[in-house]
Amino acid sequence: MAKSKKEIISIKSVSKIYNLGETVVKALDNVSLSIYDNDYISIMGPSGSGKSTLMNIIGCLDVPTKGKYKFKNELISEMDDNQLANIRNEKIGFVFQTFNLLPKLNAMQNVEVPLIYSSLGRKDRKERAEEALHIVGLQDRMTHKPNELSGGQRQRVAIARALVNKPSIILADEPTGNLDSKSGNEILKFFTKLHKDGNTIIMVTHEESVAKLSKRRIDIFDGKIARDE
Amino acid sequence: MNNFLKNIIIGLFSVRSNLTRVILTASGLTIGIFTVSLVSAAVSSIDKEFAKSMDYYGNDKVYVGTWPWSFDFDWWKYRNRPKIEESSLEYISQYSEYITDVSIKKNTWTKATYGNKASWVQLNGVYPSYQDMLSGTKIENGRFFSQNEWDLQRRVIIVGGTVRDGFFQGKNPIGKKIRLNNVTFEIIGELKKQGIGMVPGGTLDNLVIMPSTTFERILTRWGFDELVLQTNPEDIPLAKEEVGMIMRVARKIPPGDDDNFAVNSADAYMEQFNTMKNAIAGMGFLVTGISLVVSAIGIMNVMFVSVRERTREIGLRKAMGATNFNILTQFLSEAVAIAIIGGTVGIALIRLTVFGLSSFPIPNFNGSTLPISFDLVLVFYTFSICVVIGILAGMIPARTAANLNPIDALRDE
Repeated sequence: MAKSKKEIISIKSVSKIYNLGETVVKALDNVSLSIYDNDYISIMGPSGSGKSTLMNIIGCLDVPTKGKYKFKNELISEMDDNQLANIRNEKIGFVFQTFNLLPKLNAMQNVEVPLIYSSLGRKDRKERAEEALHIVGLQDRMTHKPNELSGGQRQRVAIARALVNKPSIILADEPTGNLDSKSGNEILKFFTKLHKDGNTIIMVTHEESVAKLSKRRIDIFDGKIARDE
Repeated sequence: MNNFLKNIIIGLFSVRSNLTRVILTASGLTIGIFTVSLVSAAVSSIDKEFAKSMDYYGNDKVYVGTWPWSFDFDWWKYRNRPKIEESSLEYISQYSEYITDVSIKKNTWTKATYGNKASWVQLNGVYPSYQDMLSGTKIENGRFFSQNEWDLQRRVIIVGGTVRDGFFQGKNPIGKKIRLNNVTFEIIGELKKQGIGMVPGGTLDNLVIMPSTTFERILTRWGFDELVLQTNPEDIPLAKEEVGMIMRVARKIPPGDDDNFAVNSADAYMEQFNTMKNAIAGMGFLVTGISLVVSAIGIMNVMFVSVRERTREIGLRKAMGATNFNILTQFLSEAVAIAIIGGTVGIALIRLTVFGLSSFPIPNFNGSTLPISFDLVLVFYTFSICVVIGILAGMIPARTAANLNPIDALRDE
């Protein structure tokens, strides 16, 4: 990695320990990691390896038990719930395996969800949502509800939702896991394009073919980084 | 603030998408609000009617009788008291500082007939001076009897407002003759119609007033006499005390002995009434309060279901940047909306009921309707109650939702 790149995320000696009654599970064990602007990272690892925990911590959904996590020089590891919510709202776009669209809202309204929790007015929200749907090529499906869209289209709505707040990083958790290979490839091409447009993408996957498309690959094993190249 | 409104809108949106469930849940509160409003409407109507009835007694009069105006009759104590003597009026006129005018009021009830129609009426035999002491009503048509008519024991009467409807199909009764206790009387005056009163004998509508001399001559049946004494409203307490003293002297009651008469005024009655009213209201609100609690539990239950169903949505919203407070507001407004829907239907129902009750005449009351009313203050209170119930019922489920861990919530199946 070229050192000239701007560091967005700095994780230093981070551990996450779960106390499950009598057993103590070390989901992350002393992990250190830096993520730079315009990275395209895939995180791989068998189930139970701790990759989801790492994702949750990067995504500010969870805080580490030990260690320091800085996001653009803000110390995430010591923030409270409200501050974390703000960071998620402004800096992070999530793409989930199961899309997680709200079934009763149409594509446009789904994309607007993150903006509701920002300070934008109604008109700006509409504009931004339209713009995001335009980027994913669904400008003619804006009033469709999720059940009127194909799997690939649903995931594109979800990506538009992740983009709508112009986040610093996009976190995708198995984004092609619920898609057939054709739609999956479409989505992956789309991620490549987003990366070219300057976005920072972090993707969790267990498919080699998917990981190959990324520029940097991190393997997690037993809560430790086994490979980072 | 803007954010706050947005979360309320999200909450309302979810109410719309679960309308059947919401309506069923809200119906519990509808019933609660309906009964609560009915109780308060009833209490406030009783209040108004009572005040109206109190006008009949007047806030500027002292009454002397054998019985105190009280709801806790001690029958054995009062029944053997001596009758009120008309002669006491002379003492009172002569010695009282506060009493400005006096009249006897002889009371009885009798059957009035006109043609083949008959009705029970309340009869008062009074002095000519009673014309100026009439309270809560006035002569609307015709005139009061004169001193001359009183002296000559003329059979002339002044009738209450329902006699016109009951006997004369709304036509002018002046000059007509009706029979009281099988004696013919001429109607010379008519009182303004008042509506139903809440106090026994507290309506002037089926009242017939005649000279006390005529009354004495013709109607010697059961009944009782009272002294009606005119004073100023602010002098009532002093006047009562003074009249009591004069009565004791007139009746030669030795010091230390109990009074064998009662000095009454409307304010004492009012106090008694308030005690009774509060008891009615207390019972009513207790019972309806329980129904409100039950409906609140219903709302709480539905809110728990709603939170359970939408756990993933909560997780998603939190991942997208919703704060705990955002989620709390969303679910609280949902609960409040359900409560307000229930309350609104309740208000609509009560409005209909009041309209219904007040448009149909009660049988045997000569066209009068149930004295019940509906006021806007009630609407305001109802909405406040709904908001409070919504918040109370929604608080625990909403907090549960707000405190969900986004990771677990997103994983929820």
